[in-house]
Amino acid sequence: MNPPPDDDLRAIFAHQRRCDHEDAPAWRDELLRAPMKQSSHARRWIPVALATACIVFAALFFTHSPPTEPKLSEVLPPLFDSPPAELFASLEPSFTTFEAPSDFLLPTHLNIHIP
Amino acid sequence: MERAVADQLEALHPDAFGWALHCCAGDHARAEDVLQNAYLKLAQERASHDGRSSFKTWWFGVIRFTAHEEFRRQRYRESLVGKLLALFVEEHHPAPSRQVEKDERNAELRRCLAQLPARQAEVLHLVFYQDLTIQEAASVMRVSLGSARQHYERGKARLRSLLQIQSAHEPAAR
Repeated sequence: MNPPPDDDLRAIFAHQRRCDHEDAPAWRDELLRAPMKQSSHARRWIPVALATACIVFAALFFTHSPPTEPKLSEVLPPLFDSPPAELFASLEPSFTTFEAPSDFLLPTHLNIHIP
Repeated sequence: MERAVADQLEALHPDAFGWALHCCAGDHARAEDVLQNAYLKLAQERASHDGRSSFKTWWFGVIRFTAHEEFRRQRYRESLVGKLLALFVEEHHPAPSRQVEKDERNAELRRCLAQLPARQAEVLHLVFYQDLTIQEAASVMRVSLGSARQHYERGKARLRSLLQIQSAHEPAAR
């Protein structure tokens, strides 16, 4: 058995084709001429310009370091301006040799002698 | 652009419009935009025929791709992000207008094709309307020959049944 012919479908599509051809816009040679789109051409460079600006900014940020700060020890006031010497040397000798009146009550082996 | 190519394009122009119209589901304004953008691609040498397929097959592939691009762009414009962006970037996009189908038979065929899966509708249009072979249709649609054949056979059967249903409904509606 032969498959059904497709003439019915062909006729319907041919009719549609005729209708569409009537509605089709006329051919113009200008369709094949590229328009001079200044704005879009300029817009194409925007990402490149932005990327360049970012790179320049980053380069400036990292290369331009802040001015060198003075050392902390130079800025702070000197705490110990006297030359190194023996500890408690400035104290009066009576302080180290002081003996309280109740010292005799203490057992002898607990006597503490301050050097 | 070479004169020979321009002549070929001019000869194919009405059929190219018919194909663009199919790709845009019968929307005349969008079909014109798509075709114009496809011509622009040629003018700016963003698309060129490399001779691997016939000129018509290649050109119809370009139109199909351009229509898909336009569809994606429109979907983005209609999305929430697109609408928000449109508030800041004032771009003029005319509202899609649909030319009223003058011929009832024509409109009926378009309605039936719209009910078919896209591939089936495409292969039927390319074979019956554009007189391409199934092999050429497969090349335009970028599918294998076997797949195109399957779409063709299924599409034919489905379109016939849809057309019968439509014609059966018509007398009752009148």
